[in-house]
Amino acid sequence: MFLKHRPLASCLAFVCLCASAAGQAAPLTPAELSGAALTDSLSIPMPGEFMAALNKLGKLDWTTKFRLPIVTNYSSRPQAALNLGGLIADGYIAIEAEDGQQVKNIGKDVLALAKVLGVSKDVVERASSIASFAENSQWDQLKEELESTQNEVKTAMTEAKDQDLVTLITVGGWLRGVEAISGHVAGNYSELGAKLLRQPGIVSFLNKNLEALPEKVREDASVKITRKKMAEIEKFIAFPLDKAPSADDVKQLNKLAIEAIKEISKKQK
Amino acid sequence: MKRLLLSLACAALASAPLRAASDDEVAARRTALEVAGAFTNDGFKLRDGNWTGVVEIGKPMVIQVNLYAGNQYWFTLGSVPAAKKLLVTVYDETGQAMEVDPYQEASVAAAGFSPQASGSYYVKVEEIEGTAAAFCLIYSYK
Repeated sequence: MFLKHRPLASCLAFVCLCASAAGQAAPLTPAELSGAALTDSLSIPMPGEFMAALNKLGKLDWTTKFRLPIVTNYSSRPQAALNLGGLIADGYIAIEAEDGQQVKNIGKDVLALAKVLGVSKDVVERASSIASFAENSQWDQLKEELESTQNEVKTAMTEAKDQDLVTLITVGGWLRGVEAISGHVAGNYSELGAKLLRQPGIVSFLNKNLEALPEKVREDASVKITRKKMAEIEKFIAFPLDKAPSADDVKQLNKLAIEAIKEISKKQK
Repeated sequence: MKRLLLSLACAALASAPLRAASDDEVAARRTALEVAGAFTNDGFKLRDGNWTGVVEIGKPMVIQVNLYAGNQYWFTLGSVPAAKKLLVTVYDETGQAMEVDPYQEASVAAAGFSPQASGSYYVKVEEIEGTAAAFCLIYSYK
């Protein structure tokens, strides 16, 4: 395949050097803007994209973003789904930190939560690959494998008519990413770093999906607290394009994300 | 890489379980993945996700994406031979077209874009020449 496309790669590079579309196209109409598709599989960025952007601002010790292991025997499926998302984000952090043992530990926890959610058979093989890549320090392959694992779990849930849990996995992962990254920006404030936190489209999409959950799911204690925190977080994420949030705003955002993640991971009585 | 492409293809096939992917969608996806594979030689990572549908002249399709300042992106649109010429355009959240590095060849088009600000953007895919055809949009980043 790549041999076949080697000339294409050169051609692409050439075209890019020679041509640059100067944004001459007509603006989108209001109908096009409001009618744009919004999908979990393409509109919501993976944690790896957020981390790639952050890594460009300077060297970051990702081991400082690790958290203590969470319990994995939740009796509430919505809570398990939220935490599965968080654990997958933990996996990305461990990969960025290039800590093989941490990756393997998280892989085991992901498998345990997948069992709670009834999708472990879709994850078993992936978990084994993850462990093997971690042992061999194959970090790029690990990122690909983790992304595939997340998507396979979501696909399995959609097939099992558990679309609500897909929403919760996405929200849990996004919150954990925001917790880690806002924590870093708060501790090493720069306007450039703070502007990375601007994600109005994502937070409004996720909040809309949370509000559309069936009442039974919405009333789960972990989902209730998530909805409350996400509504508060929206204010700090949806700042104007030309304005960076202040150091205090970033600290406040980080506090909200920490509280949300803490509440989500706490086993319900 | 081979592993990723295989995995992407499998995930893509399974990503719309409530609606089986048509042969044309599978072909469009394969085309997009092959072209995007060329970007990985330059360090771009393929996002494991896609958007599929049917595009025809005069009926462009738009999707919202969320991008981070500092990253570079390639949006790759694959289709089938029925689509003779395609176009990918990136817009900011107000709907203004952004400057992109364009690529266009028969049933494939791509746009390279480096956002200056993090936030929501819109990607429009359109057919310039040809008849109604299945499409698949994917993106890569670094």
